[in-house]
Amino acid sequence: MKLKISLRHIAFFLLFAIFVLLPFVNDSRTLLILLTQIFIFGILAMSYDILLGYTGIVSFGHAMFFGIGAYTTAVMLKQMDNTLFIFVLSILIGMLFAGFVSFLVGLLTLRLKSHFFAMLTLAFSGLFLVLAEKWRSVTYGNDGFTFRAPDVFRDRMTFYFFVFTSLVVIFLALYRFVNSPTGRILIAVRENEQRTKSLGFNTLHYKVIASVVAGIVASFAGSLYAVSLRFVNTSVMTMDITLDALLMTIIGGVGTLVGPLLGAAVIEYAQHALSGMARDYPIFERWIIFFGILYILAVIFFPKGIIGSLRLLIWKWRGKVKNKKTQVALPQEKERFE
Amino acid sequence: MELFVNLIINGLATGMLIFLLAAGLTLIFGLMDVLNFAHGGLFVWGAYAGIFTYMYTESFILGIVGAIITGALLGFITEKIIITPVYGNHIQQILITLGLMLVLQELIKVVFGPNGVAVKTPSYLAGSWEIGDVIIIKYRLFIIIVGFVIFGFFQYLLKRTKIGLIVRAGVQDKEMAQALGIHIKRVFLYVFMVGAALAALSGMLMAPYSGVIYAEMGMEYAILGFIVVVIGGMGSFSGSLLAAILVGLAGSFMAYYVPVLSLAVNMILMAIVLIFRPQGLFAMRKERTS
Repeated sequence: MKLKISLRHIAFFLLFAIFVLLPFVNDSRTLLILLTQIFIFGILAMSYDILLGYTGIVSFGHAMFFGIGAYTTAVMLKQMDNTLFIFVLSILIGMLFAGFVSFLVGLLTLRLKSHFFAMLTLAFSGLFLVLAEKWRSVTYGNDGFTFRAPDVFRDRMTFYFFVFTSLVVIFLALYRFVNSPTGRILIAVRENEQRTKSLGFNTLHYKVIASVVAGIVASFAGSLYAVSLRFVNTSVMTMDITLDALLMTIIGGVGTLVGPLLGAAVIEYAQHALSGMARDYPIFERWIIFFGILYILAVIFFPKGIIGSLRLLIWKWRGKVKNKKTQVALPQEKERFE
Repeated sequence: MELFVNLIINGLATGMLIFLLAAGLTLIFGLMDVLNFAHGGLFVWGAYAGIFTYMYTESFILGIVGAIITGALLGFITEKIIITPVYGNHIQQILITLGLMLVLQELIKVVFGPNGVAVKTPSYLAGSWEIGDVIIIKYRLFIIIVGFVIFGFFQYLLKRTKIGLIVRAGVQDKEMAQALGIHIKRVFLYVFMVGAALAALSGMLMAPYSGVIYAEMGMEYAILGFIVVVIGGMGSFSGSLLAAILVGLAGSFMAYYVPVLSLAVNMILMAIVLIFRPQGLFAMRKERTS
């Protein structure tokens, strides 16, 4: 057991070192932008994993929170001033607003069963999309608007490190969250809601907590996304963003936190590569088809995703080698529930 | 007066198209407990396949037949490949049908090209009648009539025939129907195919009405279909007709009087219904907890 933990730590440390050193070794602009994009969508996918992977609820309205963050930051930087202070303030306001909205929406809808919840979140995010389209005086409608990023972020490298640091901090915070007593109860809700209820937990309460945490983190990702593009339009509120988050979480592995990060890397890189290949082979212009098919196959055959399947494989392998250890490990897991 | 009648006809026609889409959804949900998020994909495939048949053969009737066949075939494939493996798992159903929606929508672009296609109304349905001050567009009246005919036909099929009896028995209690010797899986397949064919027909009829078809229209109308199913009550066939008419009328009146709200009015309607009466406005039975 001890060996496994230290191995994992070494792996994380190596990854950390690679991403810190990479920009100094290879400072190609495309690579930096791609990595920044991966990190931002990684944050979004992790927040989605709190809902889908840890609490077991399917939301089709996640783009709403991403959009709230993106628009809050963009509008404040445009209307007020492009200083670092305003930027930080806008992130906080966006997160506060997203938290408030997710609290309200969650309270209203999380009582409903999965189908209805999925549809109602779709409806709410549709409302926000309409709002972003119609409130032209602030959002400039469908066309969107450009704005100036804070001077510090002119340099792509600084922004890269800022995003990377945020990713690490959020990853550690969420890791702590899902391993906290509250996180354990969320997993219990996913496994068997009725039973968790009968154990005396108010499951609605915990589901709302999950939805608020996911909303806040998604809003943060939205803020970063807006600054990375220095442009915002209604596309940040569309279904595509939710689909991206869904795809990354499913393919990477639900309920693992690391999975969505890997998923974000795979999807973003594949998008980048396939759209590059589209110049030679027109079929790749429709790369969404490949993702769609991959996604359907993943849902049928690998519902646990890359990380989940790997983990299962390792467990099986260990089970063969040291059968006793896994048997001991399982009750230990259960003890932590109570 | 003239305006009022026109708004009503407009709303009814839109409502009928949404009804055709929602009827399949609600039947499938009522019987199989599956919410088909790919329904919009079947809708848009019906529209494209039907219109291309119509353009080649220059017969609108053949186009409709083509759309229905395409819908039923796609429904067959979908049920066999996509729905069967994830039976009884709601989350996986939602996820996988959404994935199929994505694939169907993109496949449209591969097969028929990424650009929208302009559609002409067949000559015998084009134009309008003038009765006093009121102008009635022929095609809209045609849609309304088709909608009511199909509603009547299915109402007859469900309430008066043996097939209908089996389907209703399945909706009420799957296990019991199975125990009485009905091959419920086969009933599922047929109902799914019929639902898909209805969606395809709806898409085909929508095409001349809106004048242009494009791949993304599937998702747009599917959302309207979901809204109607929720308002009408999941699994209720006549409920979805009433709800579809309600949504169609609300849309056409709002678009005229309060255009700002026209996009949001349906969403607001659905949110209110879901929060205060989650089983739907016209639901016959209460949603079971099983």
